[in-house]
Amino acid sequence: MSIALRGISKQFGSYAAVSDIDLDVPTGALFALLGPSGCGKTTLLRIIAGLEAPDAGQVLFDGRDATRWPIGERKVGFVFQHYALFRHMSVFENIAFGLKIKPRRDRPTAEAIAKKVRSLLELVQLEATADRYPSQLSGGQRQRIALARALAVDPALLLLDEPFGALDAQVRHELRRWLRRLHDELHFTTIFVTHDQQEAIEVADSIVVLNRGRIEQHGIPGEIYDAPRSAFVHRFLGQVNELPVSRTREGGLRIGELAIDESLIAPNGPVAPNASRAASEAQIALVRPHEIELRREPGGWRASVLAVRVIGPIVRIDLAADGRPAHAPLEAEISRERYALDRFAVGESVSLRLRGWQLYPA
Amino acid sequence: MSAPAWRVSAPAWRASAPAGLGRLALMAGALLFLALFLGLPLIVVFTEALSKGFAAYVAAISNPIALAAIKLTLLVAAIAVPLNLVFGVAAAWAITKFEFRGKSALITLIDLPFAVSPVISGLVFILLFGSNGWFGGWLRAHDMHIVFAVPGIILATVFVTFPFVARELIPVMQTQGRDDEETALSLGASGWQTFFRVTLPNIRWGLVYGVLLCNARAMGEFGAVSVVSGHIRGLTNTMPLHVEILYNEYNIAAAFAVASLLALLALLTLAAKSALEWRAPELRNPQRVAR
Repeated sequence: MSIALRGISKQFGSYAAVSDIDLDVPTGALFALLGPSGCGKTTLLRIIAGLEAPDAGQVLFDGRDATRWPIGERKVGFVFQHYALFRHMSVFENIAFGLKIKPRRDRPTAEAIAKKVRSLLELVQLEATADRYPSQLSGGQRQRIALARALAVDPALLLLDEPFGALDAQVRHELRRWLRRLHDELHFTTIFVTHDQQEAIEVADSIVVLNRGRIEQHGIPGEIYDAPRSAFVHRFLGQVNELPVSRTREGGLRIGELAIDESLIAPNGPVAPNASRAASEAQIALVRPHEIELRREPGGWRASVLAVRVIGPIVRIDLAADGRPAHAPLEAEISRERYALDRFAVGESVSLRLRGWQLYPA
Repeated sequence: MSAPAWRVSAPAWRASAPAGLGRLALMAGALLFLALFLGLPLIVVFTEALSKGFAAYVAAISNPIALAAIKLTLLVAAIAVPLNLVFGVAAAWAITKFEFRGKSALITLIDLPFAVSPVISGLVFILLFGSNGWFGGWLRAHDMHIVFAVPGIILATVFVTFPFVARELIPVMQTQGRDDEETALSLGASGWQTFFRVTLPNIRWGLVYGVLLCNARAMGEFGAVSVVSGHIRGLTNTMPLHVEILYNEYNIAAAFAVASLLALLALLTLAAKSALEWRAPELRNPQRVAR
């Protein structure tokens, strides 16, 4: 089922949760709604599900106006962050719920229901838990049962609200991969909400970044990460160093008191900012930690090493750079292999070069 | 409901208390207080009731007027409790699952019967339905009796006991949130299916608990009922009123005999409550407002 949102707005009191959202989700896509808490992503998901009514705009399911359809008629599977399993029912009864409550003429026979539940338990790899109660399951197992229960009624659309938010890192990682595989096998349209950029990049085909109730950017994961269209998206998708950039009298750029010249730019680094961007007076350059290059050469942009921390395959180095206030050290990341060649030590003086940046109006 | 609170905090002070003496004194004080103000009266009720022998006890409670009072009390409870069950569930459901204008006013209104004196509650019904009350003329014209009759007693009891179920359910339903209901709806359940298959099982222990308390109060209510009853023997006397009449007539043994039935009911309620708490851990939460 394809979903289209047209000018969706929703207010809670004086607070605009979402404003004028337009979005097209093609059949079979796996979309992530990504944003910080309070950005309106959950509200948008609930509007698609029919759990909230929009104040304005239309929700189209396969081109038909579904804005006023009650939730039960939307054929939507909704999975909550905290699973919402019915605690007084066994796993089997939980999954069978959506089938057992159907009006008599649509209701499958008891055998058909049992068969369906068994096949769903197999799908979520929890065959042995049929007779257990939710309280006897781990978080990851509960979430898979919640998913199986949602799938039991053959939804045309699966909506997941922070599905892995309450799980620990290891389980979360496994479930993400599992969800991705499941989606590749079954091909139903899926939209999930997350505040975790890693999760969105790992799982989704397409990411919608939301900020203050509006769509900030929409694109495939690589595009969102490599070509963020705003400082907000750039900041939200990973660590950044913020460098205020101003113009020199000669028309060049500088960071603080430091003029930006060739010595600051790595050979394959960023080109001079384009005319339109340079036109605005005050700007900010966002530089990801891995875009800072450390060298032992003399000259260039001087910095001293404040701290070195090895984090698995990467090494994070905090730097006090010339022209930067003491409370805002730069954060650089180099690979473990690079670190093995150049063991930068705390207190050492190094020379910095930028391998990439993005300029935004401040 | 306060008992689990000290059980939970026990290890903390046990570790820090330097001397066992203070602890002993506190416990002795608490036990003495309990014995004096709760245990002793209970013993008095039963010893006084049986002071003239078992035969007199049986006679006192099987006397037709006493039997009429018992019957009326049961009738009042049998009507008031189900009414408040439905009202309490509806109010708790509305308050916890929906957002609407005037919600805080409704929460305040639910507490009203606890806030006003039961005598005032009774008086309100006299002012409404008494012969000189607002609807008095209309009622007389249609030959209907509310005040000084059974309907008045039922109305007053319903009024006084209506917070119990709602108050018990609101915290339970608040902690459970709306996710379960929304899931059921998304799976295609109707409103009634959602209520009976998801909400009701989730709140059943809180509900039984509220009903127990409501019932105990419905049978034991004195003030409001006393005002609207008119004290007509064998017709509008409930058990608490009957106890008072017997006592005022210096028929002490008979008064205590009937009172012992009420005390027995209280003990049964407490036993049922303890059994429930043992059965349903969610009721043991010490943070719930004690009442």
